[in-house]
Amino acid sequence: MLGRGLKRKLSDYEENMAGLSSRQLVLNMCLTKLQTYKMLVEPNLHRSVLIANTVRQQESNCCDLRSVEDPIENSLLIVSDDDMSSAISSILKDLDFVEDISPPTCLVPTGDDQPKFSENTGLKLEDDRQDLKGAECVFGSFEISNSTSYLKDLAIDDIFEDIDTSMYDSDFCCPPLMPPRPPSLATEEPLKTFPSCNSSSASNIQICRTDLSELDHIMEILVGS
Amino acid sequence: MEEDVETRKISSSFLRDHSYATEADIISTVEFNHTGELLATGDKGGRVVIFQREQESKNQPHRRGEYNVYSTFQSHEPEFDYLKSLEIEEKINKIRWLPQQNAAYFLLSTNDKTVKLWKVSERDKRPEGYNLKDEDGRLRDPSMITMLRVPVLRPMDLMVEATPRRVFANAHTYHINSISVNSDYETYMSADDLRINLWNFEITNQSFNIVDIKPANMEELTEVITAAEFHPHHCNTFVYSSSKGTIRLCDMRTSALCDRHAKFFEEPEDPSNRSFFSEIISSISDVKFSHSGRYIMTRDYLTVKVWDLNMENRPIETYQVHDYLRSKLCSLYENDCIFDKFECVWNGSDSVIMTGSYNNFFRMFDRNTKRDVTLEASRENSKPRAILKPRKVCVGGKRRKDEISVDSLDFSKKILHTAWHPSENIIAVAATNNLYIFQDKVN
Repeated sequence: MLGRGLKRKLSDYEENMAGLSSRQLVLNMCLTKLQTYKMLVEPNLHRSVLIANTVRQQESNCCDLRSVEDPIENSLLIVSDDDMSSAISSILKDLDFVEDISPPTCLVPTGDDQPKFSENTGLKLEDDRQDLKGAECVFGSFEISNSTSYLKDLAIDDIFEDIDTSMYDSDFCCPPLMPPRPPSLATEEPLKTFPSCNSSSASNIQICRTDLSELDHIMEILVGS
Repeated sequence: MEEDVETRKISSSFLRDHSYATEADIISTVEFNHTGELLATGDKGGRVVIFQREQESKNQPHRRGEYNVYSTFQSHEPEFDYLKSLEIEEKINKIRWLPQQNAAYFLLSTNDKTVKLWKVSERDKRPEGYNLKDEDGRLRDPSMITMLRVPVLRPMDLMVEATPRRVFANAHTYHINSISVNSDYETYMSADDLRINLWNFEITNQSFNIVDIKPANMEELTEVITAAEFHPHHCNTFVYSSSKGTIRLCDMRTSALCDRHAKFFEEPEDPSNRSFFSEIISSISDVKFSHSGRYIMTRDYLTVKVWDLNMENRPIETYQVHDYLRSKLCSLYENDCIFDKFECVWNGSDSVIMTGSYNNFFRMFDRNTKRDVTLEASRENSKPRAILKPRKVCVGGKRRKDEISVDSLDFSKKILHTAWHPSENIIAVAATNNLYIFQDKVN
């Protein structure tokens, strides 16, 4: 890292950004192609595998580069990696539709990366929306993950402590919650389902998390269709 | 490469014979039969069109037999898979002829899921004089029949009929990319992305699975099968290629399931050529045994390679098809052209190999002289009976008069499918929905 007071040369910065942007460009093209494929009639397995391998290869390159201590580079890439892995997993699982009819996994970030998500997604979303075409569908999924992390981070009790929901107590725990940016019609329903989550037992929070994954999946379908 | 006289020897004596414009659909496969008398094409609409070579005319000895339409039939129809709610395309992926054993012709045609055996036969006689029905086919009043007569065969206009004799269905979960008839003429194989099945022509309700590369967990999938072919003489040997640029040769005598290869052909990667797209461009799109059975030829995105079956660690010959595209890989990835699957073919004597490229160009490589040539299949640039002029792509710097620059290439005009007559210098080139047939100039 450069010392204090020393100006960083423009050429260094540009080189970093140029090298970064070509990799980023390819990564984004990969994600776009993978996303589009979910909507196609029947995904071409050969193509999907090639695209997924390209992404994996770049991920491993990114891991090599992480040893370089450049905060900009790291922050821009961290967000990509986990969603790439999730995207690849979900795509390949989707392709296994005949012999194993199990629901596809959804784009949920791992627990470790949530703090970083809230810090860095803002930066990434702003930069890339302006620059890259095709970023729209890429970041559609990023937004979902983002909202999920919000829900997980916040103590659910705090939001709703002023609502008396005792009459809505139900036998089963934590039916799926709606995301914080719902259409107006859906605002009624979530209130009814919150009461069981008010109890702050650990098991309920755990179950909430599972249902948030399902929520993610539902949102993904809604956004995707 | 200089356009000298030597180059013209391989190929420029080819002149354009016909072009057939099939208006509706893109040609998806082209194949000569074993004698070269018939040429079959399959298209995206599930149709098969067979051309037959005319007998050479004594009146016009300077003209070789021309190919005319012999039969047209609908091989596959679009289907709907109700379980997956997906449409199954009727596009014909491959056609393979069986050797002729009687008056009829047999071929296999396949779409993504189903292989069919078709019999193409001629009818030029018709029985006349039935007892129970009259010439229009209406039943005769039995009380009016007073005598018995024997129907006689009378000549009629030639009619060519195609009938489906076998349907081999429901054996492939993934998309069929290859079929190959075994040299025993009793069995054939069909290969999809992850599995290869062996069929007996007589049995349609079962097949043997001989290769299965599907991982237990689909998330671990990193490689698919891209092409497969039987050895031309050894009925126990076949090869299959993968999306990672490898070829495996298998011997069916070793075990029932040939997941373990007998030979493994792979060229180590050149580190200086490494890029984001190295793996994608190494994916093999076609593999073909030479007629001799000693070599295999593979096509990946930028090159054609010839391998000696006895040497697994590298090919014996590598030919650059369109290396000028190497710097354009990112754009080609963006517009999906990098996934185009080009085929490659040997000539009858295994001395020349041919493959397609973009802008309706196709390339020929003479293995003996090491000369190569680029030709174009288009009506605008070649008149009938005119000798094809070699084309040249200009990479950079000054562009000469007849050269075309890389940036002017039309990537929507791609030649993926070509065929070479088994014994003569006649080639068939499919350019989107046009079929071109080029013949060697008769001296």
